[in-house]
Amino acid sequence: MAVYKRRYNSYTGSLTPEWSRFFVLTRYAFADLFKSRFFVILLVLCMVPCLFFAGYIFIANNQTVQLLMQLRSADLFSVESQYFIVIVMVQTQAAFLLNCWVGPVLIAGDLTNGALPLFLSRPFGRGDYVLGKLAVLGLLLSAVTWIPCLLLFSLQAGLAMNGWIWSHLWMVFPIVLCSAIWILMLSLISLAVSAWVKLRIVATGVIFISFFIPAGLGEMFNAIMGTYWGRLLNFSYMFRLILAKGFRERSALLGTFGWDEIPVPAAWGVLIFVCLLSLVILNARLRAREAVRG
Amino acid sequence: MELRGPPIRNDWQMMDPTIELNELEVQLGGRTILHGLTGVLKSRAIGLLGPNGAGKSTLINTLLGFHTPSKGSARVLGLDSHTSGKALRSLVGYMPENDAFISKMSGVRFVRYMAEVSGLPPDQAMERAHEAFVYVGLGEARYRPVGTYSLGMKQLAKLAQAIAHGPKLLILDEPTNGMDPPARKRLIELIREIREASDICLLLSSHLLRDVEETCDEVLILRNGQIASICNLVEERRANRKFLELETIGAEATFTSTLEGLGCECAVFTNGRIKVVMPDSVEIREVFKVAADRGVQIRRMNHRRDSLEDIFLNAMEQTGAADGRI
Repeated sequence: MAVYKRRYNSYTGSLTPEWSRFFVLTRYAFADLFKSRFFVILLVLCMVPCLFFAGYIFIANNQTVQLLMQLRSADLFSVESQYFIVIVMVQTQAAFLLNCWVGPVLIAGDLTNGALPLFLSRPFGRGDYVLGKLAVLGLLLSAVTWIPCLLLFSLQAGLAMNGWIWSHLWMVFPIVLCSAIWILMLSLISLAVSAWVKLRIVATGVIFISFFIPAGLGEMFNAIMGTYWGRLLNFSYMFRLILAKGFRERSALLGTFGWDEIPVPAAWGVLIFVCLLSLVILNARLRAREAVRG
Repeated sequence: MELRGPPIRNDWQMMDPTIELNELEVQLGGRTILHGLTGVLKSRAIGLLGPNGAGKSTLINTLLGFHTPSKGSARVLGLDSHTSGKALRSLVGYMPENDAFISKMSGVRFVRYMAEVSGLPPDQAMERAHEAFVYVGLGEARYRPVGTYSLGMKQLAKLAQAIAHGPKLLILDEPTNGMDPPARKRLIELIREIREASDICLLLSSHLLRDVEETCDEVLILRNGQIASICNLVEERRANRKFLELETIGAEATFTSTLEGLGCECAVFTNGRIKVVMPDSVEIREVFKVAADRGVQIRRMNHRRDSLEDIFLNAMEQTGAADGRI
């Protein structure tokens, strides 16, 4: 099918491995995202808190700087598990904002003009499609959550020395695990919303609503029924509960809900349920076939 | 491990029918859409005809593996559409009936994207995307967003994405939908060119009998989810001799006997009306010559051949759709 010949020819060249094809979607989505100046600014802003956290770690570990700034070690918040809880919480909130901007356009763009049958009429399944889109959010949200958290952890370990890393290595697990469940839940909710709502602004609103309305309803339920189980509908609270359990903390930083009222397995159950529900919604929407008339 | 594109082979076409339906039944929403279709289609270019709701799109979707048969099976190029869906789809290029594009992408990027999803490496996909765009005649518009294309251009862009990865079977669902006559003619020419230029197979679903007649060798006519007819157009064309309906003045027995001498079959009716069935070797001008020699005036002449429309209407009538609407 050379241009100058204007003749159709079959393709007999090499093919990419089937398992890697989902990443084509991820690559194209990233290329589109980085064309947006607003997205780049938002991404940079999501990284800014990490600079402050890094600066604080540097100061907390450097007595010369403390002297220069006329600070006493006792005045400084120690860089221990509570400090990393704060980092994870701040960065997961940043991830939430980033997700609200990026998520809504990922699938809606393909569904608006019926491009889905074009993907699925190739050796490419619905699972590959979802995986490709999920990888966009997964990589992006990882870049603002557990990856900078681990870098900060490494920075602290490097500056503190004296075996700090070995006595705190266990913190890597809750940092990665809690970030992962949050990223997974956010991504699946966004994709499910993106599959059903075409307009970005409406979809962003729906993502916000899906977090805040159930939480409000849960509190109403608690107030009326005199119970605390309504908090199961507060996904952020469930996440903080898991985070606290992971970091073996009972800190006021975790909120004023009284975090030990709901069992942690129930919190895990809620988050996993939300993920599964999002998958069911996605499954219902992502169909290759066209309408059968008549 | 390096994977390679499907090898160019001609022997599989001889070994496996293009489409093989075996008691294929498909239910959607509890309603049976396709009722036990059975048939073998061996030609390289197959047309799919039928009224609205006949099950054409459902059949195409089933062949692509989008629907699971509730009974029976469908095989395409020797592969079961249900159990070997992925392998089958690696051989297929699909041009859907409805809008199917990503509006903000430039045409060439859209086609490249689709080719990459089909498994072409990025550089190859880029090259083939440009080639496909120039080939379908959209070379000048390839850097414009697909959303800004006219309806005809969108159809061509859909065709470009269907052929860019070099499929073995091209499935075209209503390819000339919404196109003006020159664009339609160009697209039909392209389809014929694609068919003739390689060993590609073609499955074309259309409401326009002319589209099917001009591009296909075999036709599957569906009605109410059942096969109304499977017709090999090549054989039909060969079997359907052309005939003339003449209204004459002064025609005598010598006129018809001379025509019979040329190999024609004649039937004489009242008021000088004669029906002449002509073999392929006889041209109409020879009839005129005989008429001039014998002093016969030909006042009216109707020259026709059994068309796909006749076959279609016949199939519709046989299955009870007397109006034959499509």
